[in-house]
Amino acid sequence: MTEAFKKFETNLSYYFSRVLNKRLAKPLWIFISLSHQCTYNCQMCGVVKILKGYELNTEDVKKAFNEISGWQRDFTVVITGGEPFLRKDIFEIFRYAREANLNIEAVTNGSLIDRAVAGKIMASGLKNIAVSLDGAGEQTHDYIREKGAFRKATEALKHLVAAKRDNRGGPQISVWTTIMKENVGELFDIISVARELGVECLVYHPVIVAQEDMQNTSSSARFWLQEEEVKILKGQIDRIVDYQKKNGLVAFLHDPYLWLRHFNGQLTSQEWSCNPFVFINIGPDGEVRSCGAAFGNIRNMDLEACLDTPEADRARGLMKNCRKPCLQTCWSHPEADSLSGIVDTFIYEVRKYSSGRQEKKELLDAALSRLTDYESLLKNAKP
Amino acid sequence: MPNLKEVIISITNRCNLRCRMCDIPGGKSEELPTDQWKKVISDASRLGSQTIVFSGGEPLLREDIFELIYFTRKNKLNACLTSNGCLIDSQAASRLSASGVNVVNISIEGSKGTHDHLRGEGSFEKALSALENLRSQRIESTVASTVSRYNYKELPYILEVAKNYGSTTVRLQPFNLIFLKDRASGAGFFIDEADIQKMEGLIGRFISVSKEYKISVNPESYLRKIPAYLAGRRSHPRNCAALWYSCPIASNGDVFPCWIEAANNKLIGNIREEGLYELWLSGKRMKMVNSIVNNGCSGCLMSCYDEVFGSRLSKAYLLDKAKKVKKIASYQRLANKAGQLLKSQATTMKLRYRFYASYRGSVTNLLKRRLSRILNKLQGPEKTGGDEKEMALLEISRLKTKLEKEIRSL
Repeated sequence: MTEAFKKFETNLSYYFSRVLNKRLAKPLWIFISLSHQCTYNCQMCGVVKILKGYELNTEDVKKAFNEISGWQRDFTVVITGGEPFLRKDIFEIFRYAREANLNIEAVTNGSLIDRAVAGKIMASGLKNIAVSLDGAGEQTHDYIREKGAFRKATEALKHLVAAKRDNRGGPQISVWTTIMKENVGELFDIISVARELGVECLVYHPVIVAQEDMQNTSSSARFWLQEEEVKILKGQIDRIVDYQKKNGLVAFLHDPYLWLRHFNGQLTSQEWSCNPFVFINIGPDGEVRSCGAAFGNIRNMDLEACLDTPEADRARGLMKNCRKPCLQTCWSHPEADSLSGIVDTFIYEVRKYSSGRQEKKELLDAALSRLTDYESLLKNAKP
Repeated sequence: MPNLKEVIISITNRCNLRCRMCDIPGGKSEELPTDQWKKVISDASRLGSQTIVFSGGEPLLREDIFELIYFTRKNKLNACLTSNGCLIDSQAASRLSASGVNVVNISIEGSKGTHDHLRGEGSFEKALSALENLRSQRIESTVASTVSRYNYKELPYILEVAKNYGSTTVRLQPFNLIFLKDRASGAGFFIDEADIQKMEGLIGRFISVSKEYKISVNPESYLRKIPAYLAGRRSHPRNCAALWYSCPIASNGDVFPCWIEAANNKLIGNIREEGLYELWLSGKRMKMVNSIVNNGCSGCLMSCYDEVFGSRLSKAYLLDKAKKVKKIASYQRLANKAGQLLKSQATTMKLRYRFYASYRGSVTNLLKRRLSRILNKLQGPEKTGGDEKEMALLEISRLKTKLEKEIRSL
């Protein structure tokens, strides 16, 4: 039952952070890109072209982990890239994170995962390992990425599944799929590929047109879906949603039908908005940002100090006015979008799960006093 | 096919007054929760609607009304509130201002004696103080009046009230039986044949005074139809375009093709079962609308009755109207481009433009707002009106009451 109250508190803090544009909680999701170096040069990915040669050194990463492990919340650290397994010290970083008691996940293209690496991953303490798969077959995936990439990715998944079986446990094995013009017709078919391989979770996310300009939804961009393809996407979504209802496997980060409006360039911030206090991104150059301008650099200051700079306030204030949500994987935490939603959910959970009048009363009283606290905070806030 | 332009939500059937011409408060008392209305508003925004009208009952009896208005404004829609004014004290007015409401519509039936006779003792004073409180918060107010035998002689007086309190618009609507349970009791509201001429004269004066005071009123052709209508003649055309672009929703979530057809139990569906988006685009609605157009509706002169498209929905007629609408659109472009208000033109275009834009206040104000929005865009991020912090405070106090109630119920 304390679980429900914790959730209530977390959501309230994110809600009021956004209203007051003042950080009242630490982020839930921390994305760290160790370097942008990659084994592939995928057509739709702009990451490899920026911050060439930058690499976070192991000590800085460890220092950040130390700090994060001191925060009293359930965080998830996601290691992205480039290709993280290019780093020689990657398992050392995983080990350090495990010892610091962090939830850690990683994203890879699978090109470097052979049987031995898969075994090490299983023992590394990762909570989730995601392999990118952009087509249901060789033709599409290899066209987007590189010849032989599909074989390597599926083989990596096979190794991971086998290693998990041998190890009797390990991280959740997932597949991430980028939705774009080239693969829009095979989105549903990827499910059966993933299922056959023994994957446990499948996540779709729309393509980014330009890394430097996340809000670019110009229909002339190369991988963007045109009117005809959006119609195809609609059919695919129907099938995927239907499958998901019956069999699970697919995890939606948001309502999949938003993709249609996104690709039509019609999605507005009223339908989907980011909460900049929920997540941060740390780049290979050590710069910390939610989205847009950087707040500070972990190479020369503490992570928490980065979150409280005037630049952070300014950047998050601008994000509040973002008019074109990009529907990326940064988890915008819709649970904290509506105050009445937060309170209603809490009351519902108290009614349903708590035992005894006394416990219910205590929980509701605590919630009431928390709301009163925020009320006075709001009243005292400068206009 | 014209898009949805206006959603009229009867948010509650409860009312703090018991007016002689209305039995709504005695009807069904079922209401939808806040979140369901929010879904309706975002659906309306998706459908391209421009305005949400909150009516009732007395909408201010819903404690979440400010929140809903704020949500409407956040979705970049115009929010219009219809009220009897009794609950608009200075605190409520400041909350309304924080919610970002565009227009508040207060009912005034005539002089104090007439108003209090129709609406209850003391209601006139309260309505006037509501207009005053709205003015002090710089909220655009409009005056609405139900014309009947009891008050038609006082129509010019209503304009005086509007002028004195800075209201921009006076909207008249003839009395209609559909709001009464016992229809026979409504007989006294109609006028005799013999009075038609007298009333026509008063309507004429109403129009000329409104021009003099620069107060927007319903289109002249609409006003001219009222006397005959009130005398029981139904000679006016019976197909109106409100069917095509306005959508009434009752407090229990029932969606109708129009209020008159609601009285005939023609139901499209209910919000609790299907979203507004699906209902509006559904074949059932199209079928219903077509059958009403083909068979002729029962006829009314309600305030949503559309004069622009009004007489016949024949193809040639619509084409002709489309041309006019185009002209209005190009006028709007012209005004935008020039970056200034062409006031004299605005006055001549006013009446038609108002119905086209489906904005329930004065058109000059609407144009000003559009213009300032464009300027804002150039200067920085768009502001949606309303005060987020103020609204969060209101929401907190509502939710605290909810929690307290929950604790008491243990």
